[in-house]
Parts: sequence; structure tokens; C-alpha cells
Amino acid sequence: MNMDKPIRRVAIFGLLLLFGLMAQVNYVQGSQAEDLQSDSLNSRKYADVFKTPRGRIIADGQVLVDSPETHEDSPKYGRTYKNGPVWAPVTGYFNGSPTKVELAYNSMLTGKDKRITHQRWFDTFIGKKPDGANLELSLNTAAQQTAYQRLKAGTSRRAGAAVVDIKTGAVQVLASYPSFDPNEVAPQQKTKGGKRLAELDRAPGVIKPLIDNAMSQTFPPGSSFKTVTAAVAMEQLGLSSSSVVNTGQLILPESGKPLPNSHDTGNCGSQAPLRGAFAESCNSTFGELALKLGIEQLNQGATKFGFNRKVMVEPDVAAAESDVPVSVFDPRTQKDIPTGKDGTARSGIGQENVRATPLQMAMVASAVANKGKIMKPYLVQKARATDQSEIYNASPSMFSQAMKADTADQLADMMRAVVSEGTAKKLAGQHIAGKTGTAEQGAGNPNSRWFVGFSPIEKPRYAFAVVTEGVGDGASGAGPIAASIMAQVLKK
Amino acid sequence: MASIGEQIRAHLPYQRRSAASLALLVFAMVLTLSAFAEVGLARDGELPAGMFLYGGGLVVLAFAAFLVQSKFAPYADPLLLPLAVALNGLGLAMIYRLDLDTSFDKRKAVANAAITGKKLLEDEANAPTQLMWTFIGIALFVIALLIMRDTEKSDAPLSFTPKTAQRYTYLIGLGAVILLLLPIVPGIGAEINGARVWINVAGFSVQPGEFAKLLLVVFFAGYLVNKRQAMSLIGKKVGPFSLPRGRDLGPIVVIWIFCLGVLFMQKDLGTALLYFGLFVSMLYIATQRASWVMIGVGLLAVGVFVATLLPFMGHVNQRIDIWQNPKPYYDGGCLLESGKVETVKPGSETFIKYKQVLDQKVADYQKAGETEKARQTGQIAPGYYACDQLGGEYSDSAQLMNGLFALGQGGVLGTGLGQGEPWRTPLSFSDFIFDSMGEELGLTGLMVILLIYSLIVQRGMKTAVAARDPFLKLFAGGMSFVVALQVFVIVGGVTRLIPLTGLTTPFLSQGGSSLMANWIVIAILVRMSHDARKPAPQAIQDEGMTQIVSTR
Repeated sequence: MNMDKPIRRVAIFGLLLLFGLMAQVNYVQGSQAEDLQSDSLNSRKYADVFKTPRGRIIADGQVLVDSPETHEDSPKYGRTYKNGPVWAPVTGYFNGSPTKVELAYNSMLTGKDKRITHQRWFDTFIGKKPDGANLELSLNTAAQQTAYQRLKAGTSRRAGAAVVDIKTGAVQVLASYPSFDPNEVAPQQKTKGGKRLAELDRAPGVIKPLIDNAMSQTFPPGSSFKTVTAAVAMEQLGLSSSSVVNTGQLILPESGKPLPNSHDTGNCGSQAPLRGAFAESCNSTFGELALKLGIEQLNQGATKFGFNRKVMVEPDVAAAESDVPVSVFDPRTQKDIPTGKDGTARSGIGQENVRATPLQMAMVASAVANKGKIMKPYLVQKARATDQSEIYNASPSMFSQAMKADTADQLADMMRAVVSEGTAKKLAGQHIAGKTGTAEQGAGNPNSRWFVGFSPIEKPRYAFAVVTEGVGDGASGAGPIAASIMAQVLKK
Repeated sequence: MASIGEQIRAHLPYQRRSAASLALLVFAMVLTLSAFAEVGLARDGELPAGMFLYGGGLVVLAFAAFLVQSKFAPYADPLLLPLAVALNGLGLAMIYRLDLDTSFDKRKAVANAAITGKKLLEDEANAPTQLMWTFIGIALFVIALLIMRDTEKSDAPLSFTPKTAQRYTYLIGLGAVILLLLPIVPGIGAEINGARVWINVAGFSVQPGEFAKLLLVVFFAGYLVNKRQAMSLIGKKVGPFSLPRGRDLGPIVVIWIFCLGVLFMQKDLGTALLYFGLFVSMLYIATQRASWVMIGVGLLAVGVFVATLLPFMGHVNQRIDIWQNPKPYYDGGCLLESGKVETVKPGSETFIKYKQVLDQKVADYQKAGETEKARQTGQIAPGYYACDQLGGEYSDSAQLMNGLFALGQGGVLGTGLGQGEPWRTPLSFSDFIFDSMGEELGLTGLMVILLIYSLIVQRGMKTAVAARDPFLKLFAGGMSFVVALQVFVIVGGVTRLIPLTGLTTPFLSQGGSSLMANWIVIAILVRMSHDARKPAPQAIQDEGMTQIVSTR
């Protein structure tokens, strides 16, 4: 019996196995190579980063970030930041590994992006590195500058502000104080930069300059969260702005203690229309509404606004997660402790464990001003290759429909009432409407003072949120800052 | 119709192809030396100091091997030796490149460290040792050729030809099993990188499995040559398949159980697959019956399926899951019983949560004054702890992913030797050397390497076809196929074509056992190809041309 035929078949099978390997290698190195190179887990993309110039970052025609040659061996190119502390929350820093916009569009800045390499495929093939693209930010330079100055002057600890265009989601202002100067940690500083970065990272207490207070840090939103509670209650409980609600004292069901109002006069006396209770920010009303809704419904309603989930601002850049927790993890017992009835009532007024970033609150305000629609916030408007061809243009996309258009219109009216007759009467005539918030952060800590709203009052175009920490309330601690930022934004 | 073997022999010119072999060998040398030069120039900016030692050493060895081959196996296939030398040389150059002890910067750092007293990190790539193993491997090639020098006079002293091995079929089979079991024996067995496949001999770590593989091929060939008639002719016909008799099924069941044993004891799917594939392919060559292949593949599938269901074999599931979806496992992932993957890498939500738990425990212990417990708790990796608490299986795909990133970095033309960063992948010099090659030589280089493997396999198979003896045919066929299968399992693993299992990449990976075994394989193939291609012995008296009488 002859064995040649089966040997030949086995030989063919063996060669087929090797052929399979060749096909796979072609697939991986040929068509997957770029995806692998820009994979977020790939630490290789940070190598060789000092040998080529990165693209510029530009806003309103001003070059904010540039890569000048250092005329040294390593790093060959540095990274300079104009008005570093003002722009750090947006641009981030670059010291080999980038953050924020530097990270989000790293492949474009370094020229490794497909949209660039496909145009210059021959360069890629022979291994010549294409130039990085320049990024144009959506932000308003003058307003960003104003915001930083005003936040710096107006806080005793931390402060942050965010302004978004309600129709597109383009972020206009994203400012934070205290900030840091990315120049101090740029590649040209060499080991000194690394030391400075570690120093910033180890900053004691709650002041972490590397973590900006506009989108990466959460604060208790206090009464400004009543906007969300009101929206959810109006949708789920069938209320309107004229529905009469209790505004008198609320006894918390578990502890039997009252939930205090800031004042027991006017609308907060015993009963009032919802509009009035909102304008004068009666805690008891919104505590009661939250109890009626229950924490689950409040949580789900808030999720529509962007709470309890990651909000991706740009690729690889997410805002810190704002939360309306149903339960909190306790490390000692390893159990989730559910938010009780008292906690639910306090959650309804933005206390307990409710946390929000200024950007998140600006999104809430933009839902109010834009008929319930929230647009996905973005920072980068355009990217252009060195030959000026446009390789990326931000396309506005909807983030969510947080509530019905009708509810949103009623809430917008309620926000106007806050300025015309409620807690923020002193801000009348400043072309802004909004909701104040003053959250306690425990004994010994300053209040977090909020003003969240939209501008102009009629036919709004922008939504904003400002938070500062300090003594006093939101109407005086955050409102005037919001007013001057918005005045600058509206100038454009 | 004459067999293909006879047809080939009829056309073979029975020429000595030493000149062709020499030319190819010179080319392999140029390739290797240029690789060394490029490593040095790119990495240190100078021709490497080791170039003359490493490259020169390989040149001398290879030419020695060539001289022995052309003296004792002049009709041998001219491709095998140059191909093996080229692979060995490329592997050596890559290991030299990864062995930072040889680099200019490292030497400078060592000099500095001697002054400052700083401690330097060791890297595991070791070019001098690999050169030594190359030396031993090629020496074994020469010795093997010398021992197998004469097939006709197999009784000559110190002579052991491939054919002689047939006499000791069962002894060799026993030897294979003993070699396979050695690593489990306490005292000489050793566990390295989590795999218990090593033994310690005179200070060296040896993988007996590499040699057992060879002995198994011999055993299978001897066994199947005896039984193949019975196995292929007798049997019940059911549908299109003719099923074998129960007693003939015996050996395949034994091998099946054996492979499953390997799978369970050593947790090594790759090796099990290798042995099983080897056996099934040789069975097919011997009996020509597809039904055997079906039964074999079916049994293996059942075995693996059962393994995935068993609770303590969770890692099999995990291997498969990592292969399909490696990203959540990067730097630590946890496969839960529900089949969901929980990322527990540093910075992930679960990681932070359980780090809190651990930190709390440490604080509690310290408060209670139990410093020892606090210290121990502090050392627990939060990712691992989290997985334990969640009741899942912890694993890490960073190595596989880094290997793939290396391939991605290489692209079509590669970064050039010495200019990439293959050292980012753990075991970049052994299991993942193929990915390291891919980064620095690119798709182009990998295709060349795969083509070299294909040529070795094809030349081996051609030898099998040309061989005159059924035992030798099976022997050569099985050996060639095992090379193809091994390359497929490991290279397929590191390129994510199949789930990753640890095997050595023939001739490239750092490691003595693998290199020695593979050089012996080449020696045997060279010997067999010489026997198959040499002219048939001349008749003592020339009886003149046979007269052909036409019947029409």
C-alpha cells in the first residue's frame, strides 16, 4: 500500500497551516497596524514622542500650544503653552504622555492618524513621518480669560465654570481654579518637569491642580439640582409650573427631624405654585417631591441628563461621573448601603451623596434652554493638516432628550423667575437666568456655591454653570461671576 | 501507475548539490552578519563588538556542518542546512539585540553603577548562552550525521541510522513517556514561568518535552508501520466511513487519554494539541483513512469541550475568552462564572473599590496592633483580591496585547533591527520572538520567516515522498508535520489566530533544548534525503539495456 498520496495531503495541510499564518500576519500588520498603533492601551505610542513636533492647538486664531525646536538631542521639540493656567483644563499637559485635548487628538497632533496617513500613504509605506495636524478649539478665548480671572478672585478654595452652546454642544468656556502651568511639566523641563508633576499630583487635601474643577471634579450641586428634581417630578408626577405644592416644613420620615428651609416666609410659608417654590428654592418642596418619586426614579430621571454615567467629551477624554446614587459602597462591610428615605429627600435638594461637575450642570441648563435636548459637549471644532486641508470638523450630535419640550419651556420660565423675583433678584438685568445653589460640605468646609442657567434670557443660546467655594450663597458667590463670563461670551 | 516517489526518483538527476548548498549557506551568512551589523549600528552607533564573536562563531560552525554534510551525506537536500542556519542566525541576532548587556548604553551604565553603587535590572535575554546552545546544536547536527553515516552497514560500530530505530520502537516509546514524566518527578523537575515542563541537569534547565516529541515520532512510525495493514483494511462500514475494529481503536484512545493528561496536569493546551495532531496525521499517512482523522478530531473536540465545562479547568475557558476579546483583560481581568469579564486593572472601578477594602483592612489590623497581618494584607494585589472575592478567574492579556502592538508598530517594512522596542513585551526573546521580529523586520521579514518554515516543511515532506522505506516515509512525514504544527500553534497564538499557548518557535526562541532538538531533526532529514536521493547501487554486471518488446 502506497503512502505517497496521504503524505502529499498532509504536506498540503501543513502548508495550509503556514499559509493561514501568512494571511493572519498580513491582516495584523497590513490592515490592523494603525488601529493597534493608536490603541488606547498601547504604551508604545508615547515612545519617540519627543523626536517629532506635535501639531498646534489654536483658539480664535491665537496659537495657544506650540512645539518649538529646542536645538538639543533630547527632547528635540518642546511644548509651550500660552496662558498655561487659563487653558490647562482644556489643553491638558504633555510630558510624554498627554492629557485632555492633547490626549484626545494625539494621533492627529503626532500625524499618525489614518485621516492624515491615508492622504500620505506613500510616506507611511516608506516610514517617513507625516506632520501633525493643527487643532482649532471651539472655546472663546476672551471669555475663558475672564472666567479664570473671576474664579480666581471669587473663591476661597476651588472654583470651576463651564459654558456650552446649547444648539451645538460646543464648549465656550471651561475654566478652573486653582490651576497649574503646563509649561512647568513640558518636555523641555526634562527631569524637573517630572518632579513638578509628581509634586502637583501629591498636592495635599482636596486641592488637586491636575484635576480641573470644571469637568473632572464633582461638587454637591445643592439647590441647583432642584432643576433636575423639578424636571423629573413634572414628568413623572404630572405637575406643571402652576401646580400648588407644599412649601411648609417637611419632617424627614426616618429621623423625624425637619428638613430646614432657608426662610419660612413668602412662597416658602406653607403652600405655593411650583414656580414660586422653585424661585425661592424651598427645600421642603423638593425634598417631598424626591420622596414621592423615590430614589430609583430620581436616579433614572437624572441619568437622562447625563448623571450616573460617563460623559465622553472627546475621544479618551471623559468628564468625571456625576452621581445620584441609589446606594453607596462601604469598604468596611463590603456592602452597598442603600440611600434611605431621609437620604432620598436630601438627594432631591442636591445634598446627601449627589455630586455633579460644572459641565454636567451646564448640560442640565442646556436641556432647559433647548427644549429638553442636550447636545454632546465637545472642545475641538476643527483639525487641519499642515497643507490647511480640513481633516476633521466636529459635527454636533444629540446627547439625550432629557425631558419633554413643554416641561423644558416651563422650567426655563421658572429659571427666569429665580432672577426676576426669587433668590437671585440682584442679578436682574444681567441677561442671565438660572438657578442658585448653596451646598454644605460638612463642618469646617466652605459652601459650594452655584449658579446654573442660560443666557440670554429670551431666545437663549448658551448654558452655563459656575461653582465657587466660600462663605455665603450661590446668588452672591457664583451669580456675578456667571454674569461677567456670559457678558464676555455674548460679545462675540 | 508508479508511485510519486518513483516518479520523482526517475526524474532526479542524482546530482550532488553541494555547490548550491554552499551558495545558499553563504547567503544565509550574509543575512545573519548584516542583521548583527544593523543591530549594532542602529542601537549603539557602531559595529557590534560581538559581531565577530557571534556572527563569526556561527560562520565557522555552519561551514563545519557543511563540510561534514558534503562528506557524509553528499546527496542531501541542499536547502535544509542553509534554511536552518538562516533561522538560527536571525534568532541569535534578535536575542543579541534584546540582550541589553551587550549594548553600548548598558555597558556605560554598568561602568557608572560600579562607581555609584547603583543596582541595575537584569534582563532575561541572554545572547552568550544562546550562542553556546547554537554551538551545541550544530555540533549535535554534525555528530548525528556522523553516527548515521552509513545506512547500508547499519551494524558498524557506533552507527545508528533512522532505520535502526525501527528495531527499538517500544523502547523508544517508553523513553518518550519517561522524558515526558520527568518534570513531574520531585527533585529534578522544575517550574519556570508557571509551566512544569523543565528538569535541572548539571545546572542547566532542560525541556525534555522537546526531545520526547522526536522519540514519539519514531515510536508512532514504528508502531503504525506494523499495524497499518490491519488498521486500514479491517473494519465495519457505516455510511461513507469504515469504522475500525475495537482493538485497533486501542492506541488512539490511549494517546487521547495521554494528551488529556498533559492538558490537565500541565495545563498546556498547546502541547496536547501538538501531540494529538502529530498522532492523527501519522495515523492518516499510515492508513489513508479519513475516518481516523474524523474520530481523532472528534475525540479531541469532546475532550476540550469537557475541559471547558469542568470548574477547575477555568483557564481553558479563559484562554479562549482572552483570544476572542483580549482588551478587558489588559493588566488584569477577571472572568466571572456568568461569562462576563470584569476589568480589574489598576485604576478601574473594581480595582479602586477593592483597594479601598484592602486599605481599610490594613488600617483595621494596624489599629488592632497586628502589624504582621497588616503587612501581609498590604501585599495582596487589589486586582487579584477583587477577582478572588468576585469568584472569578484572574488573568492578564497584557503580554498578548503588547505582542500585537509590536506587530502593529512594525507595519509593512518594520522599524529596522535595533530601532523598535520589542523589549516591551514580556518574553520577547522566547515565546514572543516572532512578534519581536515582526516589529523590527515588519510584514516583509515575517513573510520571509514563514516562507523559510514552509520550505523546511516542504523539503521534509519531499524527503518523505522520496524515501524508499515505509518506516522512513512515516518518520520523515511525521517530523516535517510536527514542525509545521508547532510553528502554527505558537505563531498562531502570538498573532491571535488561535488561543495562545506556550511553545517554542523552532530555531528562533531562546532556549537550548528546543535548539538542540531542532538541529537533530534537520540532521535526520538531511540523512534521509541523502538516502532517498543517492543513486541506486549499481548492478555488479551491466546486463545491457532491457529490450522493450512492443505487443502491438
